[in-house]
Amino acid sequence: MILPLIKGLATTLRHVFSKPVTLQYPEEKRPVYPRFRGHPELVVNEDGTRRCVACTLCMVVCPSNAIKNIVPAEGPEHEKYPTQFVIDLTRCIFCGFCQEACPKAAIKLNNLYELAQYQKEVLILDIDRATQKKSEMRMPDWL
Amino acid sequence: MVNLTIDGRAVQAEPGKTILEVAKENGIFIPYLCFHPALKPIGSCRICVVEVKPGPPRPLPACATTVAEGQEVVTNSDRLQAIRRELMKLVLINHAIECPICDKGGECELQELTHALGIDQVDLKAIALPPNHDYESDLIERHPDRCITCGRCVRICRDHVGAMAINFMNRGYFTELGSGRVPLDCEFCGSCIDICPVGALINKQFKYRARAWEVDKTMMVCPFCGGGCTYELHVKDGRVMRVYNGDSVLLCGRGRFGYPVVEAEDRLKTPLIKENGKFRTATWDEALDLVSAKFKEIAAEAGANAIYGIGSPRATLEANYLFQKFFRAGLGTNQLDNPGRLHYLKAVAGLAEVFGWPKVTEVKAVGKTLPPYHSPLAISEETKGSGFPFVLGSFEELAQADLVFAIGADITPELPPLGWAVNKARQNDKFKLILANPRTTKYDRWADLSLRYKPGAERLVLAGIMKALLAAQPDRTPAIASGNLEDLQETLKKFGPKELATKCGFDEAALFEEAATLLAQAQAPAVIFGVELLGQDKAEQTVMALADLFLLIGRPEKPGSALYPVAEKANTRGVCEAGVLPDRLPGYLPLDDQTAAAFWGDKPVIKEPGLDLLAMLDKLETDDPAAPQALYALGGDLLRFLPNRSRAEKLLGKLKFIVVQDAFLNDFAQMADVVLPVAIHAEQEGSFISSGGSLGVLNKALDADGVKPDWQIISELGAKMGFPAVPGSPVRIFQDLAKNVPLWAGLAPGKTVGSGIPATLSGKFAPFDLDISLPGRRPFTLIVGKVLQHSGSYTTHHPCGTLVVTPKGMLALHPEDAASLELAEGDEAKIISSHGEITAPVTLDANLAQGVVFLPEHFAEPAAHMLTLNSNLVRVTIQKA
Ligand code: SF4
Ligand code: SF4
Ligand code: SF4
Ligand code: SF4
Ligand code: SF4
Ligand code: FES
Repeated sequence: MILPLIKGLATTLRHVFSKPVTLQYPEEKRPVYPRFRGHPELVVNEDGTRRCVACTLCMVVCPSNAIKNIVPAEGPEHEKYPTQFVIDLTRCIFCGFCQEACPKAAIKLNNLYELAQYQKEVLILDIDRATQKKSEMRMPDWL
Repeated sequence: MVNLTIDGRAVQAEPGKTILEVAKENGIFIPYLCFHPALKPIGSCRICVVEVKPGPPRPLPACATTVAEGQEVVTNSDRLQAIRRELMKLVLINHAIECPICDKGGECELQELTHALGIDQVDLKAIALPPNHDYESDLIERHPDRCITCGRCVRICRDHVGAMAINFMNRGYFTELGSGRVPLDCEFCGSCIDICPVGALINKQFKYRARAWEVDKTMMVCPFCGGGCTYELHVKDGRVMRVYNGDSVLLCGRGRFGYPVVEAEDRLKTPLIKENGKFRTATWDEALDLVSAKFKEIAAEAGANAIYGIGSPRATLEANYLFQKFFRAGLGTNQLDNPGRLHYLKAVAGLAEVFGWPKVTEVKAVGKTLPPYHSPLAISEETKGSGFPFVLGSFEELAQADLVFAIGADITPELPPLGWAVNKARQNDKFKLILANPRTTKYDRWADLSLRYKPGAERLVLAGIMKALLAAQPDRTPAIASGNLEDLQETLKKFGPKELATKCGFDEAALFEEAATLLAQAQAPAVIFGVELLGQDKAEQTVMALADLFLLIGRPEKPGSALYPVAEKANTRGVCEAGVLPDRLPGYLPLDDQTAAAFWGDKPVIKEPGLDLLAMLDKLETDDPAAPQALYALGGDLLRFLPNRSRAEKLLGKLKFIVVQDAFLNDFAQMADVVLPVAIHAEQEGSFISSGGSLGVLNKALDADGVKPDWQIISELGAKMGFPAVPGSPVRIFQDLAKNVPLWAGLAPGKTVGSGIPATLSGKFAPFDLDISLPGRRPFTLIVGKVLQHSGSYTTHHPCGTLVVTPKGMLALHPEDAASLELAEGDEAKIISSHGEITAPVTLDANLAQGVVFLPEHFAEPAAHMLTLNSNLVRVTIQKA
């Protein structure tokens, strides 16, 4: 009768002295693996220019119509680039198809997963907000 | 039929077809690159190889091998696939693989083949070549690094367009498509763009604007000339992306690059009402109420005849039909005409004189419901036709003619498809071409005989030829039943051959004999005559001379042997056949035809004919009580096309009330009291009848932003005036029209007027006037005419694509004439006639004869018709400005 009680107490005691598994989110953040699929973003070159050539293949392949309104334009050197590009994160299912389809490695899924918002519009990214700020992948929490 | 097996499948095929065609018909895939259904096969890329037994041990190109009885064809053995893959790798060496930015991506035949043949790597190497991109042209961009040297563009340009603007440069691996390392200088038809299997030739208007799969496609007829080409309109987000013709490929530059006119800045969006000499915008109700009140007032005061109507060759059959119904059934007058009076109707008048007005009997109603734009009348066993429409040929037929005699026509600018048909006919070895024109035109390079006569001397040329013909064969019996030959002989007696030759400006009368010999030998002679001839004063006399000639030489039982007058605009022929005429009902029925009442809901038709356009102006000039007081015009800038502009302006200014329905506020619309903005191009539905007589259908692909289609405006105005209701859609209006036009029995989209109706042709030789004097003593003869890149004034509005090729009107002068006047390219010249003077920049053109100058009539400036009197020819003096 007393034996199970002692066993239980022993388990409790053991955990009292071991490191806790609970993560104090949001103060603490869960690190994710490099291949984790966060939200898609437009990749920039070293010089800060976008790599996208507005070929629209990502828009075609996207199964949930999250990529919209790619507006192409012609640059002075006859290059093709987008002047508008909308990624609707409220629709994105993080499948990564766009990344796979892109012939220019111009769209990648980053490691951001904190997408809860009070306002839906915040999640509809226009071309500037869809573009990464630096040429490396955004992964603030990767240790 | 021959029997053969393809991949073990027994198939039947028509003899003479190629293995590739037969396989395609039977759903068997054989890849191809250099072949295109619109071209003759050349068998150069060898991607289409198949094994044929019995046959040589090596594989044969399926595109260039015809089927034979008992053949066994294998299309997909391992050996063949290996050959194809190897060939594809050779094609792909150093191909600029830039599909993401290549506009062809998604519809590229090379992409598809690479995929179909499973090529993932090219393990061959070759030295890299410079890409030599050509970005110079504003309409066509060239990327030689994507070219697979299939030669399709070279062939379409050379054999079908006839421009010969591009060819291969260098040899072997270094072969490159080009225009000789200079910017492309061509007709800018863009046909090479649509036939290129890859993205080596790019439509600059389409470049980077949409991917091939993003567009909505609508088939429609081209509204830019009387050619009646059909094409696909590609629309994305409510804007036209491009015009595309993947099947027959050929289009001209206006058709392919002209569509941005729809988006022109200066298009009218709302109705305008003139108050105290200034326009103000108005609502539709306001404008239509005003028009209706004014028309009622004038009709009550001065009778219905005081309101005059001018139809439009730009508007659809349906709009024009409703328009004349508005006048005949609504107002109760025959006071209406159309601008074809200045050219096409002269052909109609002349031909009707010789061959009679059309008569088609014993057609029967179809009874069942029909697809849109099908005539509710069918041809029966007993149907018989007669009259001039049955001597008019279609473009398809023209290709079967073995001789073309073109007079007074600059074929390509006036009607490009007529030129393409001539090019097709040229493929026949026995084909002969006689070209008569005061200028050297494009087709002179292929002419067996060129007759360079003095402007305006057409009738004398024809008289000379007929004289020579009758002299050589006095007892020639015409193939067409005809009478009154004596009348013709009487006319021809007036001058001897020598005299005629001198008057025509020929060195020797032998030219007449040469032409007569060629014409007499021809088995299927065709006669083309253009606006250059029809635009002249007394052109109906010239047409009678042409009709007489055709009576002598024509063999109408042979396909192709026919007359081909140029009907310049999309519906020039249609507006006449829809009855916008003062003296004829739809289908050219006479005003007293017993079926006539059926058109107007059994209301009797006024039997008294109205005034024609020119007579109407004359009446205005004399302030005749019969002159109209109000004018309702369906569009078109009358001031730009009526000869003697100052007079026209003065006379039209006498009208009390003018209503113009147009898309632009042009000079004539400026004179109006009410301007009603209309839908154009793909903003509306309806149909046209082309110069060749085929029915083309416009489909709606764009939103009309505030403007309305012509038919709707007319029917709303009719409702306001209390006229009987009319059908509520173009499809039903067409039915209403076609059910009473026996000439159109069996007509359907793509079919031609009168085809399938057994016709008996007969004619009577008509004497014609041999006086050709051109008044005045000024040294130069000015021809006011058409240029290739423009269609009326329609294409002169920015941002129409063809404006980049021909941005303005220039006076074309022979270099020696220019030298004697001390004028150089680009200088301003003052041109003076007895009626006015204008200035225009000069361009040198060695194709003109000395003493002959040319000015296009499309542009607001220089206003060519300031100079003319009653014809498109006028004598002028030229000075340095
Ligand atoms: S697939 Fe890549 S290059 Fe193409 S539009 Fe999308 S991001 Fe841009
Ligand atoms: S031509 Fe075809 S294969 Fe070549 S870049 Fe363009 S789309 Fe790609
Ligand atoms: S645009 Fe027409 S004329 Fe010019 S190169 Fe192409 S096919 Fe020839
Ligand atoms: S430009 Fe196009 S059509 Fe012409 S040869 Fe090259 S691939 Fe063929
Ligand atoms: S030929 Fe006439 S109908 Fe054909 S594309 Fe050109 S303008 Fe249009
Ligand atoms: S398609 Fe037959 S050889 Fe090119």
